[in-house]
Amino acid sequence: MSVEEVTKKFEETVNVDGGEAASSGPKTVLSGEADFEVKHPLNTKWTLWYTKPPVDKSESWSDLLRPVTTFDTVEEFWAIFQNIPEPHELPLKSDYHVFRNDIRPEWEDEANSKGGKWSFQLKGRGADMDELWLRTLLAVIGETIDEEESEINGVVLSVRKGGNKFALWTKSESKEPLTKIGAKFKQVLKIEEEGFLEFYPHSTANDRHAHPSIIL
Amino acid sequence: MVTVLRRSYTIDELFQLKPAAAPAELAVNFDAVEFCALVAKVKEIQAAREEEYMAHNGGRRRSSHHFAHTRPKVKHMKPKVKTDEDGWSTFEPKMPSETDLTEGNKQKSSDSLTAAQENVRVRPNNKNMGSSRPADAKDIIADKQILGFNAFAALESESESDNE
Repeated sequence: MSVEEVTKKFEETVNVDGGEAASSGPKTVLSGEADFEVKHPLNTKWTLWYTKPPVDKSESWSDLLRPVTTFDTVEEFWAIFQNIPEPHELPLKSDYHVFRNDIRPEWEDEANSKGGKWSFQLKGRGADMDELWLRTLLAVIGETIDEEESEINGVVLSVRKGGNKFALWTKSESKEPLTKIGAKFKQVLKIEEEGFLEFYPHSTANDRHAHPSIIL
Repeated sequence: MVTVLRRSYTIDELFQLKPAAAPAELAVNFDAVEFCALVAKVKEIQAAREEEYMAHNGGRRRSSHHFAHTRPKVKHMKPKVKTDEDGWSTFEPKMPSETDLTEGNKQKSSDSLTAAQENVRVRPNNKNMGSSRPADAKDIIADKQILGFNAFAALESESESDNE
C-alpha cells in the first residue's frame, strides 16, 4: 500500500469535524472512532527533549534537560508538534532535542560518544527558523536524510541570541556516509552556495577553538 | 487490527499527513498545557530581568572588553584649603610626612632654606629656545665686540717701524 492509498484510507476513516466522534470527548486523529486503526508508523521511536534555560544558579544541567514525550507514528508527531511552542516562541538559551529511542542528547551517551554533529548557524529569528526546524524534523523522522538509516542519532535546535543553531548528531565520524548526509542536510536547510555546514566530532566538544573536521 | 507500514516518508508526504484539526483537538501523551506554561514562565522571567537590566544600565549594553581600553584611574589629592576667622581661604602647604622628619632630613631642609634666601643671579639658558635672540638685553652688550681692529692705527705703527 502506497502512502497515497494509506492517506486516502486515513481520510475516509477519520472524520475530525463531526460525526459520532464529536460526542465522545476531544476529537483527534489518534482517538476518535472505535475502528480507527490506521497510523503511519515511523521506523523507530523518537523522544522529544527540552533544555530549559537556567533561571536560578542552583539549577544543574541534569535539572535543565528533561524528556518531554515520545512518539513513533506520524500522527503522534503532528499532534505533539502542534501543541508545543514554535522555536521563535522559545526563550533564549532553550534547546529542543529529538533523539532516536532512548539516546540521551549528550555526547557522553554511549551511542553518541564516537560520533559528532553537522552544525549550521542561522542568523535571526522568526519564520525561517520555524520552517527550517520543521523541515529538519520531517527529514530526520521520515528517514530521508539518511538512506542507510544507521548514522543519525538525533537533531538539536539551540535558540541563541547570536544565532540559532541546527545540529544533526551522528553515531560515527566516517567521512563518506557523513558527506552524503551533510549534502542532504544542506538541501533541507535550503543553504545557498555562500552558506556552509561544519562537522565537529564530539571528541572535540570540550575544545572551544576546535576546527571542523569536514566543511561542506 | 493495526496496519503496520514501516518505511521512509519524504517531507512532502509527511506534510500531506498533517491533520487539519486544531491543535487543541489533537490528543498528546503528555501535559502540553503544563509544558507551554513552563516555557512561558521562563520567558517572562527573562523579560523581567532584561527590563531590570535596561533600567539600571541606561538601555545600553557594554561589551565585556570595555574595561580593557580605559585609562587607569589615578587619584589626585585635593589641596587642603584653610579658612581663617576673617573668612580668608588659603591653601595649606604640603607638610612632609612623619617618616621624612628624621634628623638628616631636617638638616637638609634647613640647608635648602638658607640657600634659597641668598641672591643668585642665574643667566637664562636660551640655547634650547626656538629663537636665537638673547633673552636679556645685557647679554647683547656682553656679546658686542669691544676691541675692534683699527686699520689706520695699524698703518701708522707699520710706517714708524719702517722709518726706524
